[in-house]
Amino acid sequence: MKNDSFICIDNVSMWYPAKGNRVFSGEKRYVKAVDGVSINMDRGEILGIIGESGCGKSTLGRILARLENPTGGDVYIEGESTGNLLKKDPKAFRRLVQIVFQNPYDSFTPRDTIEEILMRPLNIHSIGKDKDERKKIILEALESGGLHPAEEIARRYPHELSGGQLQRISILRAMLVEPKFVIADEPVSMLDVSVRAEIINMLLKLSREKDAAVIFISHDISLTRYISDKVAVMYLGRIVEYGEADEVISNPRHPYTQALISNCGSIDPDEIMDKIKVEGEPPTPINPGPGCYFASRCFKASKECFKEYPATHDVGGGHKVACDRLY
Amino acid sequence: MDNVILDVRNFNVTYVNKYKKVYAVKDANFSINRGDSLGIVGESGSGKSTMAMALLRLLPEKSTEISGSAYFLGKDLVKLSEEELKKLRWKELSVVFQKSMNSLSPVHRIRTQVEDIYRVHNPKATREEIAERFIHLLKLVNLSDRVYNLYPHELSGGMLQRVSIAISLINNPKLLIMDEATTALDVVTQGQILDEVVKMEKEMDMTRIMITHDMSVVATSCNKVAVMYAGEIMELGYVKDVLKKPMHPYTKGLMASFPSLKGKKEKLQSIGGFLPDLSKKYEGCIFAPRCSSAMDICQKKPPVIEMENGRTVRCHLYGGER
Repeated sequence: MKNDSFICIDNVSMWYPAKGNRVFSGEKRYVKAVDGVSINMDRGEILGIIGESGCGKSTLGRILARLENPTGGDVYIEGESTGNLLKKDPKAFRRLVQIVFQNPYDSFTPRDTIEEILMRPLNIHSIGKDKDERKKIILEALESGGLHPAEEIARRYPHELSGGQLQRISILRAMLVEPKFVIADEPVSMLDVSVRAEIINMLLKLSREKDAAVIFISHDISLTRYISDKVAVMYLGRIVEYGEADEVISNPRHPYTQALISNCGSIDPDEIMDKIKVEGEPPTPINPGPGCYFASRCFKASKECFKEYPATHDVGGGHKVACDRLY
Repeated sequence: MDNVILDVRNFNVTYVNKYKKVYAVKDANFSINRGDSLGIVGESGSGKSTMAMALLRLLPEKSTEISGSAYFLGKDLVKLSEEELKKLRWKELSVVFQKSMNSLSPVHRIRTQVEDIYRVHNPKATREEIAERFIHLLKLVNLSDRVYNLYPHELSGGMLQRVSIAISLINNPKLLIMDEATTALDVVTQGQILDEVVKMEKEMDMTRIMITHDMSVVATSCNKVAVMYAGEIMELGYVKDVLKKPMHPYTKGLMASFPSLKGKKEKLQSIGGFLPDLSKKYEGCIFAPRCSSAMDICQKKPPVIEMENGRTVRCHLYGGER
């Protein structure tokens, strides 16, 4: 249900029609990339979404930025549907919501200098009085992102910068228009570990300063724990567990989250845990039910698990788990 | 000394073209004993893959210069002829790449491909013999024997990578090199494959080099680690020593940039600056410009300092002339 939260993701689904629809029997098949996701977010909150490849986390990100229209449900910002917001005033909506993509090498025009690239959003949204003021804003932003000397960087072309620098510029560009909602889709997975920290710390700093809500999509669990206030774990298009980041990661309740975290290597050789074995591969997102989608691989599964998708249980403190075999 | 599988001394790899030389691996020294598993970690551009490719002699000869020696079971890999190498490849020395699964032919069954590969070294092997062998290997990597008769498109990425690992083991190699072999896989799949590899290693008496950028992979699956930066091995030793108590400032920096799953959230650290241009020769320590503990003496080449337990550190902080 639609409510007063700053951002309300209400039962969002994205079903892509699958190949091989049976025309004559009238039965339709869908790839359920995102299937009934509901989350509320406050202003300035950072929500991490973790899951394996193909679980629908990037699709969810695209829906939130309204790069795609969901086939079911809707996303509300301050009570208004993002679909309406976009229709009413596309410019205002794009200023409100920004997205940072995974690959910094692909997200810039190779023919423009960094200054021209950063100037564009300012021009479009009429930020700053004239060219000089805009240039000042750009240089300040570059400096604040740790890109020295800013004058020099602004003159360069994307290919003259490293991946880490480009990703920082990509985040700066998103932040220039002071969005209230930022979606970061695997922003550091292409980068080396030694520069990751800078980017993450920068994203944290900017979102705190501007009080923006951030969705941080990642498959790196320890990184997500570091950056997020809340964490949602996705499996085959559904949220299986949601709660405070520390709580979910140190005390996972859903068998899938437990398996995921136990398989996540630590850098401390003494801290090697027993891995929970998960049999097989995720089933296809084409009609995965009935029953719990994870049941066929789950070490706790019983017969009932194959009958109906489990209800979501609150295990305290807003920690929600979609599993009936908690005890 | 017959316990040593691979002994690499003063190993250099340089890429050469008309205009410049790129010194990709400089003065690498290490040796691997039987049953060891050595993890080589480093960031992109640190030369870890170049080193593996050079050891396998898979780099184009026209544009690369390799010097030094790499004795593998008594034979110097650097000097072997193509014919002699052919005898070693797959049989004694095999490799799995990040995208090894893409090298499987889409139009042949796994079975056909495995038979072809096995017959390179054993031309007279019968189908039954090969099937028996390979199905045993499939079990080791946790796949059902059904896979043997399937086409690659019928399997998922994780399964194909498992098949590639099984194929690399078909001749019972003495040394297996895994170059980011589990990087492209999901956390759960990666964790399981690593477990399987460690188990299988014990069973098959195999030695392994694991190239990765992920410290946690090394922590879970190797007993020794070499940390590479800009073509040089900065620190080398047992995992339990190096990762517990990193000594080289670069290793320390690298460890601090991994967030942990447990405990307090400490502020993530990063290493400022950039990788140096490897086409230039440097007088001093290659890491000095980014190093927080750099001193005047770091303008001079740091010595490789030997510590207890076979550990080596290339840094002025730990001795040598001051």
